[in-house]
Amino acid sequence: MKEQKKIFKQQDKKACPERSRRITRRDFMGGAAAAAMAFTIVPRHVLGGPRNVPPSEKLNIASIGAGGMGASNTNACKGENIVALCDVDEDRARETFNAFPNAKKWKDFRKMLDEQKDIDAVIVATPDHVHAVAAMAAMQRGKHVYVQKPLTRTVWEARMLTEAARKYKVATQMGNQGHSGEGVSLICEWIWDGAIGPVRQVDAWTNRPIWPQGIDRPKETQPVPEGLDWDLWIGPSPWRPYHSCYAPFNWRGWWDFGGGALADMACHLLDPVFSALKLGYPSSVEACATKVNNETFPLASIVRLEFPARGDMPPLKLNWYDGGMKPPRPEELEPGRKMTSVVFIGDKGKLMCGEYGDNPRLIPETKMKEYKRPPKTLPRVKGSHEQNWIRACKGGEPACSNFDYSGPMTEAVVMGNLALRRLDQKLLWDGQNMKVTNDDKANEYVRPTYREGWAW
Amino acid sequence: MGLVNGVFGGTKRSTKRLVPLFVIKRITMQKQKKATSGCVLRRAYCAAFSPRFGTQQSGKPHRGFLSRRELMSSVAAAAAFTIVPRHVLARSGQSPPSEKLNIAGIGIGGRGAGDLDEVGSENIVALCDVDEKYAAGVFKQYPKAKKYCDFRVMLDKEGKNIDAVVIATPDHSHAVIAMTAIKLGKHVYCEKPLTHSIWEARQLTEAARKAKVATQLGNQGQASEATRLVCEFIRAGAIGQVREVHSWCNRYISPRGLDRPKDTPPVPETLDWDLWLGPAPWRPYAKFPDERGELVPYCPFNWRGWWDFGTGVLGDIGCHQLDPIFRALKLGYPTSVEACCSGVNEETAPLASIVRYEFPARGDLPPLTLAWYDGGLMPPRPAELEDGRRFGDADDNLYVGDKGKMLGHRLIPESRSKEYGKPPEVLPRSPGHHKEWLLACKGGKPAGSNFDWAGPLTEVVLLGNIAVRMSQQLYEKGLKLYYDGPNMKVTNLPEANKYIRDQYREGWTL
Repeated sequence: MKEQKKIFKQQDKKACPERSRRITRRDFMGGAAAAAMAFTIVPRHVLGGPRNVPPSEKLNIASIGAGGMGASNTNACKGENIVALCDVDEDRARETFNAFPNAKKWKDFRKMLDEQKDIDAVIVATPDHVHAVAAMAAMQRGKHVYVQKPLTRTVWEARMLTEAARKYKVATQMGNQGHSGEGVSLICEWIWDGAIGPVRQVDAWTNRPIWPQGIDRPKETQPVPEGLDWDLWIGPSPWRPYHSCYAPFNWRGWWDFGGGALADMACHLLDPVFSALKLGYPSSVEACATKVNNETFPLASIVRLEFPARGDMPPLKLNWYDGGMKPPRPEELEPGRKMTSVVFIGDKGKLMCGEYGDNPRLIPETKMKEYKRPPKTLPRVKGSHEQNWIRACKGGEPACSNFDYSGPMTEAVVMGNLALRRLDQKLLWDGQNMKVTNDDKANEYVRPTYREGWAW
Repeated sequence: MGLVNGVFGGTKRSTKRLVPLFVIKRITMQKQKKATSGCVLRRAYCAAFSPRFGTQQSGKPHRGFLSRRELMSSVAAAAAFTIVPRHVLARSGQSPPSEKLNIAGIGIGGRGAGDLDEVGSENIVALCDVDEKYAAGVFKQYPKAKKYCDFRVMLDKEGKNIDAVVIATPDHSHAVIAMTAIKLGKHVYCEKPLTHSIWEARQLTEAARKAKVATQLGNQGQASEATRLVCEFIRAGAIGQVREVHSWCNRYISPRGLDRPKDTPPVPETLDWDLWLGPAPWRPYAKFPDERGELVPYCPFNWRGWWDFGTGVLGDIGCHQLDPIFRALKLGYPTSVEACCSGVNEETAPLASIVRYEFPARGDLPPLTLAWYDGGLMPPRPAELEDGRRFGDADDNLYVGDKGKMLGHRLIPESRSKEYGKPPEVLPRSPGHHKEWLLACKGGKPAGSNFDWAGPLTEVVLLGNIAVRMSQQLYEKGLKLYYDGPNMKVTNLPEANKYIRDQYREGWTL
């Protein structure tokens, strides 16, 4: 096995110099994962799969969930051919539809993928509950995928997408665009340089939710707005009557559709933590919160994940606060200075950064000033996060937040929501087998039940 | 408390207030000489349960077991009264232990009814409530008691006949009622929190000391076996030095997280709304949704979440739950406090909050962080707790020592608790929380949560609410709230000081 790993390592380096920071991660990932990942470095033309598009040619891109965040992702890809746009809500997608008059317009992504054959790559920017089914349908047809964060709403879905991406050998990227920023690379370099010593704790917090949570299902019903296909919007989730409290904006607060503050923001905030601290599956998770109901996420919560030692890195406690809750203000922080979103607590100091890994600083500032920065050994992503993916689609190196990285990270993130279902317990997690080992009931939340007609 | 009789001889004592000072001093010195001759238990009691609070603030560090005299310092004079034989100081109207007190209840419909039951062995001579309907059952229970709506009228008319008052009104009227009673020389039992604002707590503490009346806060847990065990475990070093304590409470106390209600139905005929408001700013009687969505009025019961009247979960429960922590770890005023919550709102307390206090070193005790959680939030589950074992209940305290942890008054894990057994019993046990007060009223020693203890405790609890209300500003400005306890002043954010003292409505003063 050791030998095998060594080989992978060499191959990786060769095939993927830009993202050498991932390689170390692979060192500690299990054998099965390593073996599976090895496939990603086999040239595509050998194995078939997606259409081979050289860098000189344009990709044919389809966008699912073309309104909202999808509009921005689609625009960032407009240098390619935007050949298809799909949205269940005509009104919301109108602007994007108008911006790309040559693209074919669709409501049902299943039809689009079945009927329109010229698509190379797909952007999925629907509400969270549709991510997995849409991305899976695309990958099964050999399409590259860019999927908004969180990759999925549940642990099982993230695992399935991660495995499918390997199986179908497509280029993948999750929409945690901070990963393409300078901050994440700097944090990795500084922490690996020992700037704050071994890290045993990280605190992160967000002001989300900024949409309603902690509420019950509305009793009144409303007519479905013209132009919205409500049944398609519901997609794989259990059917319920339309209400404006779900679509287009506030679905994030509802268990059936979103993932609350955690799923919205943790794939950003915890991204530098996963990269720099080479995290894999957590060993345990516990949560506490304001009143939890079966309809919406609580108004405020704290999620506490524990990760085992990784190589020479000690075990880590990762604490997440949302809904107005915050970790203690670090004593190193100078009076008058705001605490930003993430604090790495090392044996020899602390590092603080923003929501997207941006503006990393050792604290206090005197420490930052004294710090002799290591050379920038990690190659930087050129251009946008979307461009990073497009290069991968055209046979370049895997995108920086491809599913081998973002899948396990999403799993850990949505584990927090699983823990919200089982308060007052520390759930022990067997990551390889996707199983809570000390609470059977918790395992009911690992995998969602899809509505008929939506399972893959 | 069990030592009261043994130490003081038991009978014929009085809380006589009109004695020339020199007489008291002389008697005090004699008695103290006698009392300090080798009574280990009593010294231990004084160290743990002395009503003198936060002695490190007066510049004297704790030394574990202090003599009664050292600890009592400024209240020594007050304490001295308690040991003057009744025959020396006789005055009509005073109750020796053999006689019954004449007690008046103010705010009797809710918790007050329970308090009156606890002192029902005495004469309940007067009852006062602004809500006739809510109080009806209790009025009926004490047919001989005179009934009043306005406590001021009651104290005016019945004053001579009343020895002591039990106050269980909403928080915002504790101080004005207690102060009126204290100034008239009545002993006072007041529900927790002692007051609605820090300034009021200080005024009551000082007034009670000056008037030399017997006082007790309604934090009955202080009299419990559990509180003594916490102190004894920690003093015995069962978990080593304690630098971190977590306290949490997930009780539903009242609607919170609401704006000023717009639904203002007429005031029920049985309620004197203006009197209920008392010193608080006037507002119309109103109804608003509770947690089930049902419309409820401010009173009875639903006022705790409204800043003008109540003090949130921390105010409601903090004086209970933080009491054993303060006793066992000899806490005084904190140096700083920070808070976060689920949305700051000028009308109501948030649905959830975390308050983190930093306390300085106290003698040989290291600095300590005390974190309070409410609304369902909790500290991390300790690794020592067995899988499947509930982490406290809706509320509990977790003491983190450098040699172990204690959940409530049990060492964890259970195997450690079994191995350790009980700590040596060095503290005297209480005859009961209300009984402590009754004995104090009759000349016994100060009750365990008299205002010298409960006033400062309440101040620290209420400081947490200031941090909650200022939490957004504190975050924006990148600050913790630094506090000068003795001077009741936030030193680094002057705007916060507006919450130290309430502005009373015209016609109301302390």
